[in-house]
Formats: sequence, structure tokens, C-alpha cells
Amino acid sequence: MIRIAAVGDVHLGEDARGRLRPALEQLGDRADVLLLAGDLTRHGTVSEARVVADEFGGLPVPVVAVLGNHDHHDDKPDEVTAVLRDAGITVLEGETATIGVDGRTLGVAGVKGFGGGFAGKCGSAFGEPEMKAFIRHTTDIADSLRIALDSLDTDVKVALTHYSPVPDTLRGEPPEIYPFLGSYLLGEAIDATETHLAVHGHAHFGNEQGMTPGGVRVRNVAQPVIRSAYTVYCVEPAVVEV
Amino acid sequence: MTAEQYLAARLRQALAEDPRTTELGVRVTVRGDHVLLSGDVASPERRAEMEAVIHDVAPELTVLDDVKVVPSEAPVGREELR
Repeated sequence: MIRIAAVGDVHLGEDARGRLRPALEQLGDRADVLLLAGDLTRHGTVSEARVVADEFGGLPVPVVAVLGNHDHHDDKPDEVTAVLRDAGITVLEGETATIGVDGRTLGVAGVKGFGGGFAGKCGSAFGEPEMKAFIRHTTDIADSLRIALDSLDTDVKVALTHYSPVPDTLRGEPPEIYPFLGSYLLGEAIDATETHLAVHGHAHFGNEQGMTPGGVRVRNVAQPVIRSAYTVYCVEPAVVEV
Repeated sequence: MTAEQYLAARLRQALAEDPRTTELGVRVTVRGDHVLLSGDVASPERRAEMEAVIHDVAPELTVLDDVKVVPSEAPVGREELR
């Protein structure tokens, strides 16, 4: 059994330093890996990234993260990523991480994701340059997620994003803003690649559980949704591969 | 759209874009002279900052603050996916 701890949208800054750390100290007894689903900072500054690095650095399990929209706000995603990596946190954007657990392997493919909306109710790369750029950003990210997931040859495959791949986990958010909360293109990439679980954040008023059109479990781990420092999902490779 | 809805939209935008708050995950509801804030933030200080931003934009409004600090304890159970 592989135990996957996850949380997103912790929105750390100097004022919230150390809030999660007490709950993380025993993580090694409860989980084999910790996934961070983006929006780790408030404004995406380097100083906030250092708070995140202190909070999640040096834990007894590997930590794998993607950035969220807040982590881009100060236009320094590369610097934020570097600070996190210096603390031993793996930061993915179109890349993968493979973790060995008791002789089995867990593969994580991560991207930030983006908006655009869900099948039948979404934007198209048509018209003004701004609209085309918006949708192409989503398309490019979904393509890189698909390539990353496809490249994994592990017992369990997990897709880690900030934006949602499905509308199910957004229930509770106003439907009018769904196009800013996720894209079906992420879900399509997950369904095309024999992925076992998709973990995302971003939707603070959404709900935890959902499923892709292809039957892959989706979990919204935004901290205001899970209402704890993290949550744990257990995946049994032999069972999910039936 | 009523004037209350425009005001609520302006307040929501201020909470999202003001560097003191940058909170997108807070609901803003205006009813008469009152504005209700609800949702979760990561620290107690952020509730006070939100009230300050609201006051700058609409000093005439009384703030009803239902915002909670999101719990940060370890989880009680775990979910087994089968």
C-alpha cells in the first residue's frame, strides 16, 4: 500500500510561519510522500518561498510540489522554484518524480494547469490574441501533463495539478467561475494515460471528491476543503491495476 | 444588477488585488449597510487586514466577519482508494 499525503493552497507568508510544522513532524509514520498542490505562497515572493521551504523542508518523506497562480503573482516562478528545490522539495512543471515504496514505485507527474472550462462550456483559441493566448496556455500545459504521465512506467501514477481537471470537485464554487478554476483538457490527459489518481487544489469552496469521465479518482486537497494540515490517500497497486 | 452587487464586486476585487490581502477565497455579500465576509484564511492577522481593506473602499459599511482561520492539525483518518 502506498500512502500519499497531500495539501494545497496553504498560502504561507511570514505571518503564518510554523503553523503547519507541528502536524508535519509525525508525517513519516502516516505517509510515504507529501504532495503540495500549488498556492504555497500568498504573493509568489522569494521571501514567502523561504517560509514554504522552512515549513516543508527536511521532512522524513519526499515532498513533491507544483506551483499555483499565487506563486506566479510576483512574476518570479523560477526564483520561487529554486528556493524550494534548495530545501529538497521537488518542484514539477511538466516533469515527473518517481518514489520507491516497499518495492513498488509511485510516479508523480505535475503541472500548474490553468483555466479554460469544461467540456461543452469552455473557451476556444479563437478571436482576439488575448483569448488565443489564454486557451493556448491551457493546451500547452495539458499537452505537457499528458507527455509526463505517458513517460511514467510505475506501479501507481498520480497527476498533481493546481487547477482542477474536472468540475466535480468544484461544487460549492459559483458555476460562472468554473472556466477560471480548471480545464477538461487536464482531465483528458489523465484519462489517456492510465493514471490512478489526480490531486489538485485552487477551489477553496469546492469539495474533496470527484472523478474524471474515464473513471479516475480526483481529490481537491485545498486546505480550506480538507480542513487539516494534509490528508492521506492509500493506494494499493495490485487492487487499482485489476 | 443592483448597486449592492456592484459594490460587492468592487470589494471582492479589492480583496483579491490589494497587496495586503490577495484573498480570492473569501465570499463578500453586501446587504444594506452591512458586508458579510466568509471563507477561510491562513492566519488570524489576515482577518484584520481584510477588514482594513474593506474599510478603505467602503468606510460606511459595517463588517460582519465570519472568516475562519483554516485548521492546521494532522488529519484524523485516511482514505483507502479501492
